[in-house]
Parts: sequence; C-alpha cells; structure tokens
Amino acid sequence: MAKPKISSDWMGGCAGCHMSFLDMDERIIKLVELADLRSTPITDLKVPDESGVDVGILEGSVMNTANEEVVHRMRERCKILVALGDCAVFGGVPAMRNFFTIEETLRRGYVETESTDENGKVPDDPELCKQTRVRAVHEVVPVELHVPGCPPDPDVIFYVLSELAQGRMPELKGDKINWH
Amino acid sequence: MVNITINGTSYEVPEGYTVLKAATEKGIHIPTLCDHPELTPYGGCRLCLVEVDGFRTPQPSCTLPVSNNMVIRTDTPAIHESRKFVLSLIFSERNHFCPYCQVSGGDCELQNSAYDEGMTYWPIQPNWKNFPVDASHPYIILEHNRCILCRRCVRACGELVGNFTLGVEERGANSILMADLGVPLGESTCVSCGTCVQVCPTGALIDRWSAYRGREEESKSQKTICTACSVGCGIEVFTRHNNIVKIYGDWDAAINKGVICEKGRFLPMVEKRERVLTPIVKQDGKPKAATWQNALEAIAAKWSKGEVAALVSDRLPAETLSFVSHLVGSDKVSVIESAGDATSGLKKPFEGKLADLKKSDCVVVVGTNLAEDHEVAGFFVKRLVPSGTSVILIDSESNPLDQVADVVLKPAKGGEAALLQLLADGKATEVAAKAAELLAKASNPVFIYGKSASELTIKAAVEAAQKFHGVVLGTRGGANSLLTAFLGMEKETQLDKAKAVLIVLADDEPSQKLIHQLEKVPFKVVLAAYHSQLSAQADVVLPVAMWAEESGTFISMDGHVQQAVASINPPEEVKSSKEAVQEIASRLGIKVNGESWKDLLKSKAVVTEIVEA
Ligand code: SF4
Ligand code: SF4
Ligand code: SF4
Ligand code: SF4
Ligand code: FES
Repeated sequence: MAKPKISSDWMGGCAGCHMSFLDMDERIIKLVELADLRSTPITDLKVPDESGVDVGILEGSVMNTANEEVVHRMRERCKILVALGDCAVFGGVPAMRNFFTIEETLRRGYVETESTDENGKVPDDPELCKQTRVRAVHEVVPVELHVPGCPPDPDVIFYVLSELAQGRMPELKGDKINWH
Repeated sequence: MVNITINGTSYEVPEGYTVLKAATEKGIHIPTLCDHPELTPYGGCRLCLVEVDGFRTPQPSCTLPVSNNMVIRTDTPAIHESRKFVLSLIFSERNHFCPYCQVSGGDCELQNSAYDEGMTYWPIQPNWKNFPVDASHPYIILEHNRCILCRRCVRACGELVGNFTLGVEERGANSILMADLGVPLGESTCVSCGTCVQVCPTGALIDRWSAYRGREEESKSQKTICTACSVGCGIEVFTRHNNIVKIYGDWDAAINKGVICEKGRFLPMVEKRERVLTPIVKQDGKPKAATWQNALEAIAAKWSKGEVAALVSDRLPAETLSFVSHLVGSDKVSVIESAGDATSGLKKPFEGKLADLKKSDCVVVVGTNLAEDHEVAGFFVKRLVPSGTSVILIDSESNPLDQVADVVLKPAKGGEAALLQLLADGKATEVAAKAAELLAKASNPVFIYGKSASELTIKAAVEAAQKFHGVVLGTRGGANSLLTAFLGMEKETQLDKAKAVLIVLADDEPSQKLIHQLEKVPFKVVLAAYHSQLSAQADVVLPVAMWAEESGTFISMDGHVQQAVASINPPEEVKSSKEAVQEIASRLGIKVNGESWKDLLKSKAVVTEIVEA
C-alpha cells in the first residue's frame, strides 16, 4: 500500500507551528517512513498535488483573499484537513485585528508606524489580494481535526501526524489539549 | 436525610442540600463556573447541568435542592454535549486570547472545563466585540474581555467582604461589570481586599503583582496565618524559587474562611523596604557590616544585667516573646508604643469569639477603627448589614464605618463610657435614643472595643453585654497582642534607667515617636528585617526574618492558638527572631525558654477562652 500523502501550507500565522513541527527532531525520519511528505512552505514543493493528498495541514488564520485561496485549494485537494495552532483553530494573534476596521489597520501599518510618515501609501494595486475580517479555518471550510496550541507541542504534532499516517484519527484528550 | 441516586448508586444526604453539594460530598465531579462553595448559589452559567428523572430539561445542580428518591445522572453523552454547548456560548461572548493570559495552563477554571470536555476549538466563534480594560486600580486589572459574568466577584464583594463595590450594568450581550455606579475600579469604594480576584474563575481579574510569576502547579503552597493584625486570618502562601508568587485567603481557616484584607494579600507583594542582610556594628560612630560573632561580642561588652530593657513588636511569635522576657526579665519588656492594658482590672474571661458575630443582630463598635486596623473583623460586621443587623458606632473621631452604621455617635473624647452606659440604661436622648432602642430590641448584641477604649469603656461594654445577653470582643493591636497583654508587656516603657535597650522590630517600621523615645539611650540593639531610621542609629543591628520566613505561635484576638509556618527561607545571614534572641542569650550565658508562655496560660485567666488548634 502506498504511504499516505501529507501536505501543509500556511496563511496568517508566524511560522511558529511549522517550527514546532520541525522540533519533533529525529522523529521526523520516523514520520517520513510512515508517510509521504509532499508540499510544505519549508520544502521545495510548495503546492499540494493536484491529484490530491490524504492529509492537509494548515497553519495560520484566514486574513485576506489570498489566504482564502490557499484554504480552498487545500480543502479541495485533501481528505482530512487539520487546523494546526491557535491561529488556524481560533483566529489567534491576527484576530486581534478584528477589533479595528481594515482601513485603520492598513493606515497604521503603512502610514502611522514609527518608521513611516504621512507620505506612506496604502498599496491599492488591483492585483493585490483584499484584506478581510480575520477568521479561523473552520469559518471558511469544514475542518476534520483541530490541533490547538500557540504553537502546539512537537510531541502532540508527532502524535497527530503519526496516527493520521497510520490511518487512525488521533484523539486529543487530557494533556494533549493545550490552547496556550 | 433523603435518598437520592446518582449515576446508578444510591446515597443518603441531608435534606436542604443542593444536588451539586450532595454530588461533591460523594466524590462525584460536576463542573461549575458560577458556583463557589462560600457564596450563595446563583445558577447563572449552566455548566453544572445534570439529568434528573421527571424533568423535561437538564437542571442546574448548583441551585436544585435534593428531594427524596431523586434520580440524577451527571455523566451521559447528552450532558457532555450540553456542557460543550454552554462552554461554546461562553467563549463566543468575549475574547479569550489564552496564550497571553496569566491563568492559562492550569489556573483558569473556564479553560480547564473546556479541556475536560475535550474541546479543541470553539464551535461558535466570538464576534470580536471590543470590551474595555480597567487598569485604574493599584493591585487589580479588570480585563472585561475575559469576564464570563459569573458574578462570583460581585457576590464575594457583597456577601464576604460586605463592601458591595461590584455590580453589573447594561443588559444581555452588553452586560458588563461595574464598580459602584460606573466609576473606574481604582476610584471606587473598593478596599483592595482582593477577594474578587481570588474567586474569579477566569483571568478577568488580574492581580498585577502575581500575574505571570508562576502558575499554581509550578508553585509551592504553604498554609499559614497572616501576622499583620490580631484577627489571625488563615492564608495560603504560594512561592516559587523562594519568592512569594501570591497570597490567598485559606478557605479552610476557621476564623476567616478565605477572606483576607489588603494587608494580608497585597501589602507583602509591594514591600519596597531594603532588607538588613548582615549584622551591623557601629564603629567610630559609623555603622559597619559585621559577623554574627562580632555583633554578639559588641552586645556582650555593653550588657549589664538588670540594666537592659526590651521593646518588642506585638507581632512576634510567642516563642520570641518568651525568650526576650527571660533575657532581660519580664518586668523590663514592653510593647513598642504600648497604650497599656485596659483590661488588667477586669475579671476574666469576659470576651467571646469573632464567630459570635455571625448570629448578631446588633453590633456596637467603640474605640476602634476596624476598617483600618482589623479589616477582616470589619468585613464581618459590614456583611451583616443586608440581613438587617444594626450597627452602632461610637467614636469621637471620623471612622470609615460611619458609612454603614445605622447610628453614628460622636461623643467628646473620653465620653464613650458614659454614653455606653446611657445606652444600656435606656436613658439616652436624641440620636442616641435610636441606638438605645436598637440595642434594647437586639437578641444577640455584640460589643466590639479596640485599642483606644479606656478601662471605663470596656467595663461599660461588659456591663451592657451582661444586661442584654450579648458578647464583648476586643480587637487590640498586632498579631500577638492578646499574648503580650497577658504576659504583662502592655505597659508604658521605662527607659530612664536603662543602660541598653534591645528593640525587636522584625517587620515593624519604627515610628518617629519611638525613634525620639530612644534618642538618649546609650546603647541600642535593634533586631530588624528592614533598614530604617532606627537601624541607622543603632549600635548593633541583627538581621532577622520577615514574617514569611519565621515560624511560631500566635494567639488571635479571640484566643485561637495558631501556628505561623515559614513559607520561604531567609537570606543567608538572616536568622529568625527566635534564633537571634537565643544567640544573644547563649553568648551571655542566660537560660531562656520559649515555651514558658504555655505554662502561664494554664495558671492564669485570659480575657477570652483559649482555643487550641
Ligand atoms: S480567561 Fe481562561 S479561557 Fe479566557 S483567555 Fe484566560 S486562560 Fe483563556
Ligand atoms: S478588592 Fe475587595 S473590595 Fe475591592 S472590589 Fe474586590 S472584593 Fe470588592
Ligand atoms: S470578573 Fe471574574 S468573577 Fe467577576 S463576573 Fe467576570 S469572570 Fe466572574
Ligand atoms: S484582618 Fe488582619 S490577619 Fe486578617 S488578613 Fe487582614 S491584616 Fe491579616
Ligand atoms: S455552576 Fe451551576 S449554573 Fe453555574
């Protein structure tokens, strides 16, 4: 039997969840023995196979139309979608932006910061994606498994992926659940 | 007793119990948020839902009284579903950014409940409505974004503290906690007891000084007593790496049942005085760091038996007090700035217990500022007010209790005794007549007198208590002031003939009056935890423990013998006050005994009955 394929991607996050994934250290070899690690933002292959993967992992919240595309593409191409980390699960740090209007946050970012001035210009090229309200992944597409944590513990990530790679649905209980 | 069945097992429980209380007592866990064992059940959060035969819908167990043959289920799939749903609704209401919350990871009852139900996400996302943060208070930050409106804090502030600062304004999703009539907490009537912080199940009430210093599971906890005043409240000190993380009221403590005041909870956290870390000996008029041995030599060189007096803090353990009295002779020890013992001429015992306040319907307070000096005793009085207990305050000066008292009587200084007598005899006129009326109606009056009450006033209180079948309580001063009075240390200081004076300050800050009093003393030995103007003038300073570093016995104002247990270790060169006095004694070859107070207690009557732990 072919090894199950795993892909990952990220949106509005800090890359910390992927760092925590790498923090499983030598266990990554075991994981590669169990599963076929396909595209990830930290490997050469960036986009999940058109032919589909078994497990899709998403880090980060959905903040703009480009993120939406990433989410929809992963949803279409994977069987089991995993929201990895507090941003993907709840909205996380980026969701604090929801306390302001999008105009306010753009003005703050491009005009009002300590290193910008009134000459700063909010980019408005029509080719650029549009900012949206910040959402958890499950607000955009259905999610099969939520792995909270900021970031999730490497042990938990290893447990989740090795279970999925062996065709089992991981059970997050007790000290495997951590929102912090 | 009634018979009930929980999860298929039958139990006998007392009538009047709630289902929650019955289950908890039988070791069956039902998650709760708004409920708190020391507060009136509120039934607001719905996390404690259980299935009960005969009810169409799940019922909140915290408010449902048991009835005979009730059949209850706490662990069905439907109940778990309803718990998850309740938690989902709570999370959807506010903004819980757990990774940055000081209680996340073990100290949050909300998060713990969600973990227990295996919640990995929020099925209903919040709408990111922005709630304010009130950071106006010196000790407490009110982070409304994390508040679940369980109203534990509101009930605690009213029911336990009697302060009624907190309430809720607005309606529905806009409901928000408020202080008084909507002022910032720091400008409100809050008395900074921190009880609200202790009962808050979430991170909404942030203790500025404790936040992020360590969670409970990373801390050691030590139950002990607060030695800041004679109420003798039980506390729990949480420490980490030999630092105090936070101080909680001990819910199991008989005297205070979890409630403490600013002095017990927060003041130790903001202690800014500089510690004395080594012995100091004055050489050529200048203070110089010295070894213990050199310091003891310097003391021995000036010690002439019979000509040394001692001044002690009334916050020292019984053992230290005994040691000092053996060291210089019991007649030569007096409490710093003692006002004398106004009870010495009275037939003992004549005082009751703080617990007598519980059933009191009329409290007469005379000669004491409870809100300042014995705050928790003040809470005990204030919290009686809503149930109709009348409070009569007799004080020639202004007193924070003026606000709550039904009758405030302001006699001229020295007129308290006469006024009390008029009240008791029913001969009072004008405003006082109303007080007399309240007193005459009362079935369980309690008379509380304090430090500034004269012997005549106390006598009048005792007589009034006899006449109305009431109880008298004396608050006195520091944590061991009942014992210092008993040991005859409450007397005016005679320093004229003293060639040397031993001053055992420990935690106390010397007043200008004390410093002035000691100006002419030729040789001063100060035992202190902190540097002060007095330690700077001392000939020898010995570094001693602060309260959390010293164990020992204390007798509360109403006679409870309690043990203080050290929760942290003193710095290297610092010794407990007991050890320090013992060191002096052994250098001088004087025999001391730290237990002598015990025998004395057996041989002579005390103002109130002694209760051994
Ligand atoms: S109060 Fe509890 S649930 Fe809310 S943010 Fe803090 S830890 Fe999380
Ligand atoms: S600190 Fe005490 S007085 Fe102040 S609001 Fe909280 S419970 Fe009330
Ligand atoms: S501040 Fe805390 S105790 Fe008070 S209502 Fe909010 S969550 Fe409950
Ligand atoms: S009332 Fe006295 S013993 Fe109780 S906490 Fe306050 S200072 Fe400490
Ligand atoms: S604990 Fe029963 S309703 Fe909140």
